[in-house]
Amino acid sequence: MNLFVCIDDTDNLDSIGTGALLENMMQEAALQGLGRSGFIVRYQLFIHEDIPYTSHNSSMCCTVETNDRDAFTAFCADYLQSNAAEGSDPGLCVLTDDGALDYTPLVAFGKRAQTEVVTKSDAYAAANAFGNDVRLSEHGGTGGGVIGALAGAALRAGKEEGKIKGKLQPLQNKADWTMADFSAAYGVERFADEDGKEIAEDVTIRYLLPTKLMFQSGKVTAILVQKDRIWMPKPKVKKNKG
Amino acid sequence: MWEIINGKKHFTGGKEAYEAAARTAAHCPFFAEDCEEECVTDDVRSCYDCRFRRWTSESFICMKGAES
Repeated sequence: MNLFVCIDDTDNLDSIGTGALLENMMQEAALQGLGRSGFIVRYQLFIHEDIPYTSHNSSMCCTVETNDRDAFTAFCADYLQSNAAEGSDPGLCVLTDDGALDYTPLVAFGKRAQTEVVTKSDAYAAANAFGNDVRLSEHGGTGGGVIGALAGAALRAGKEEGKIKGKLQPLQNKADWTMADFSAAYGVERFADEDGKEIAEDVTIRYLLPTKLMFQSGKVTAILVQKDRIWMPKPKVKKNKG
Repeated sequence: MWEIINGKKHFTGGKEAYEAAARTAAHCPFFAEDCEEECVTDDVRSCYDCRFRRWTSESFICMKGAES
């Protein structure tokens, strides 16, 4: 069985971030044989003075393959209870990943959470209307994290655009790539320009610097930029000090 | 670059004053870089990438403001 798993509001100013906590949780689930997870997508939610959050209102969602949904969900609940930061308001959403399901009403909720203030009651109403394929739970504090958790899972299910956690690093001593070779080596499914428009023609890619991958149109997407007529994955590099 | 509103230290430059945010962070004793996925600049130090900034609709609040 495939699932979307999303958590939110698990951190405080001194703790690891929610993305790192989700990564750790999924690593532990894999070690215990409860599930295997894929990459994590970050979704930016609405920034507003009425919404409590640490420094950025974002939620993190990954996909999971498991043989035992109940055991996996119970594990996640216990993990959040034990590992979320003091003073945080953690929420967990576990949503069935099934192409036959119509996620439209949940996606509508997720989009609302990106553009307006929504409440826990709104989240539970959306989840309850969807039925047994979504499980929403609170694990400390106000439990307000259920809002972002449901929103993130819904947006991922709806194939909405988000940032893939982490940077992609060049792994081979090879500068120029065909798109097909680059896709095969790095798992990239789509190439797009900075405006998100797909690059369909076959171009040579010069890959020398780390880059961020995006989740666009339901696919792992590399953003290509052109400099001096050379296409390259958009660099994501911190400048040197001073 | 700061304005104190209700005891909170608001950055007055908005969300795209990259040079000012880098200058301000350069000598800040509280600066701590946020996790990679939350960083928005290429600068080695920028208030925009600090884990102690709290984004607002117009700019951000420095959560270490009261101590500095």
